[in-house]
Amino acid sequence: MGETKGFPYAEEVKLPPEMAGWEEMYPPHRLFSKDRDDWEKRHFWYQDKIHDPEALYPLDDIFNEAWQIALSQYTTRVFCIPPAQGVQQRMLGCYMYISAVEPPPPEVIGEKAEVFGKRLPYVLQNYDMLWGKWIEKFKALGKDMQSLKVPEELVKYVPDEDIFPVTKGYTPAYEVIAAFNTLVNQIFLGWQYHFEYLNLAYLAYLMFVDTAKKLFPGIKESTVMGMVAGVDAAMFRPDQELCRLSRLAVAQRPVGDILKKDISADEKIKELKGTEAGRVWLEELEKIKDPWFFASCASGWFHYEGSWVTKMDVPFSYMEGYVKRLEKGEKIERSLEDITKERERVVAEYKKLIKVEDDRKSFEDAYSAVRTIYQFTENHIFWVENWLHTIWFDKVRKFGDLLVKYNVLKKTDDIFLFNRFEIPMILEDLVTAWALGVGAPTRSKYWMEKAEKREKILEAARNWVPLPGLGIPPEEVSEPFTVMLWGITSEKVGEWLKGADLSGNEIKGFASSAGVAEGPARVIKLAKDIVNLKPGEVLVCPSTNPSWAPVFTKIKAAVTDIGGLTCHASIVSREYGLPSVTGTGVATSMIKTGDIIKVDGTAGVVMIVKRAGA
Amino acid sequence: MAEKWIYRLKEVGQEHNDIVGKKCANLGELTKAGFHVPPGFALGVDAYCRFMKETEASQRILKYLEDFKADPHNLEDTLKYEKASQDIREIVEAIKMPSDMEEIVKGYYKELCKLAGCENIYVATRSAGPTSHPGQYETYLNVSGTDDVVFNVVRVWSSTFNTRSIIARARLDMPLHHDPIGVAVLTMVDAKAAGVMFTVNPVNGDESKVAIEGSFGYGEAVVSGNVTPDRYLVDKIGLMIEERVISDKGNEFVYNPETKEMEYKELPPDQRRVQCLEDREVLELTRLAKKVEEHFGCPQDVEWSISRSLPFPESIFLVQARPESVWGKKKKESVLGKKTGLEMLLEKAMTPTKVRA
Repeated sequence: MGETKGFPYAEEVKLPPEMAGWEEMYPPHRLFSKDRDDWEKRHFWYQDKIHDPEALYPLDDIFNEAWQIALSQYTTRVFCIPPAQGVQQRMLGCYMYISAVEPPPPEVIGEKAEVFGKRLPYVLQNYDMLWGKWIEKFKALGKDMQSLKVPEELVKYVPDEDIFPVTKGYTPAYEVIAAFNTLVNQIFLGWQYHFEYLNLAYLAYLMFVDTAKKLFPGIKESTVMGMVAGVDAAMFRPDQELCRLSRLAVAQRPVGDILKKDISADEKIKELKGTEAGRVWLEELEKIKDPWFFASCASGWFHYEGSWVTKMDVPFSYMEGYVKRLEKGEKIERSLEDITKERERVVAEYKKLIKVEDDRKSFEDAYSAVRTIYQFTENHIFWVENWLHTIWFDKVRKFGDLLVKYNVLKKTDDIFLFNRFEIPMILEDLVTAWALGVGAPTRSKYWMEKAEKREKILEAARNWVPLPGLGIPPEEVSEPFTVMLWGITSEKVGEWLKGADLSGNEIKGFASSAGVAEGPARVIKLAKDIVNLKPGEVLVCPSTNPSWAPVFTKIKAAVTDIGGLTCHASIVSREYGLPSVTGTGVATSMIKTGDIIKVDGTAGVVMIVKRAGA
Repeated sequence: MAEKWIYRLKEVGQEHNDIVGKKCANLGELTKAGFHVPPGFALGVDAYCRFMKETEASQRILKYLEDFKADPHNLEDTLKYEKASQDIREIVEAIKMPSDMEEIVKGYYKELCKLAGCENIYVATRSAGPTSHPGQYETYLNVSGTDDVVFNVVRVWSSTFNTRSIIARARLDMPLHHDPIGVAVLTMVDAKAAGVMFTVNPVNGDESKVAIEGSFGYGEAVVSGNVTPDRYLVDKIGLMIEERVISDKGNEFVYNPETKEMEYKELPPDQRRVQCLEDREVLELTRLAKKVEEHFGCPQDVEWSISRSLPFPESIFLVQARPESVWGKKKKESVLGKKTGLEMLLEKAMTPTKVRA
């Protein structure tokens, strides 16, 4: 890697002056610190562009806190992947950096190997039963969160029924404090479940890639992924429901016509309510709304993205497109049968090429192991990042509403400007003032000014470009997520060290879905702009999400800044047979809407063929 | 002589290997299996024997060799072998084919002309030994007219006396005067591009790939290594072109109607780096390669040629197929070591991944 040995250390990074005070937005243990200097400098840190490409609102950081614990513990304390340890996080300038913890001492590796050897086979052998239990408890958790009562107001005097016949003993003051604590506990529990089998699933995938590469040295990872990927995973359901509703709408003329109108979703719903067929159709929608419309409009990681249920214009615009295409006689659904058949053909052909009987047996066995557990990666995403997060954001906003109602904050979403340890303080401030009686002040001025200041810091952070890495890159990594999900390879680190060249015409990334396609680019940085996408364009975006599936029947190819072979864009592209290149790091900065680009999903290269207006 | 010594290609198959030589047998096999092979016929090894015996060529060569002494392991004696080769080839090529044989060969050639619907079509006369000696004997391209065909068949026979063949036989202690081979007479494809493909990646033995090399003009340019061909690596299962290297091909190997010779003609600068194949041709070749491999049951080395006058896909001809000689012969050994999925999973869990090169 030439003379450059690594990146600057965290303390050497210069931040713009407008970001002064950013540290107080995040809990102290999440910051780089002098007292852990030696440890922190021993590790290589890279910006987590997969989960947190953007400057982080303090409350949205809760998912990171939760996964730092959850992801790590399954590797270190639960299933005990022998040489691997956890993934640690630090905040720097409103962006999150992560690092795989150095391997444990040899004797610990030995101990863990024993535990791992006992627990892993059990999970593989019982996965179907375990998945059944998982989904059951997860749905129960979501229902609990949905039924969590957040007081809408602080009543002047508690009602009589709190006194007669037996006094309740506590008031909304306690309820507010307790409800927020419960909500935090619930989201933490959700994230505990999130990783229950994920580490093992990724490990199984990495093992299968190795196996396939030993047999077929030139096999593409996108091909391996195609063999492993599920067809009927939960993440595809929201789109399937849209297809079904669109077909129903077409069958009921007035419904289809209303859906095609150039008016907002609210207005469409109002018109639908005015017709018999419309009411029947709306009932059908209502039946599947929970859970399938609890799909996030983007990654599910940020409060400002919204979900279908909170931004009905999004699913309605998809259905509008589907209805129009159905009327033209086009097919809108993915053909599960075709995808399954193609996958079976590919697996069978590779198997046929293996001439040694023993190898064929090992391959089959490896394949069945990975197929058993890999489904978890595709199913948990809908339930955690989409369904549960949608419920979470909704509940958090109830607290935001309460604080706005009593003039502690200016806007509901200002609550996201405070971290999860600060919010109990604000809530306590509010209920204390209520308890103290008429006229007792809160520190609303203090909170409001803080919110305002933080909004400015975040604005400055968005305009600042964080370094991709901090410190000296390591020799090796044994932590499966680092390798697979974040795709930290020697090439990647090398490219980062060279610095991104934004002047060229060629962009490299993961060859995540094979094929070549050329077309005009549509760069979409914000989820809400997805509606601008026109048929035949190439989607260029930071990352995609399962709820974008309807878009994939329109586009020619997809390119993302972030994500490896398992990201949504990759999976969905393969499903729809579209070329895609993911994890380019720079596509949305280098490509402009209207540029003619050629996406080679087999080689993992995007070429800018012709600049817009050139 | 009652025994048959000449065959239409479609009349022979792999089982005729020892009768007509490997190349003819394989081409016949491909033809019978329905692959698009240029029409042609094969002279069996018996034709060689009969020619050598009836014209007394054998006797004359034996007589010449009576006084010949040289050590094939001594490099300095190479010159002696060269001289002998020259003399013997002069003897052989001066001999006329027995007239009954000549008439039959001409008859088969006329049949090819009739099939093609034009007179004096161009053919290639190619050697076909019962065991494969790539590049040892000679091939004559763009032969046209009955007399020339007959003469060039004799020339192919005579090529068993080229220096390298004589030395090879001497080293193996085989008789020098006699090395029966078959001859394939094949309709020439007016090749715009031609080359070779392997049904395995020759670099690493990956059997899920087809490696194709091609260049402008006739395939000899690629086989002989006289041009740097375009290279494609295609995935057999997904039918995807995964790698393509478009080379500066410099020359094309073409027929010069004025000199009646094959020659290397310099390509215009703007054409040297143009890819010699369309993508659909690459994919069609891959499909054919898969089928050939499946037919023969082992990795294949296939020569192909693309006509400039016929429409795709009829334009694509296979002109040779033989077992791939490196990976195909390797003993298949287990690379996974009889492990179960669980064992491999435990192993994977124990191995860290290197991050920095």
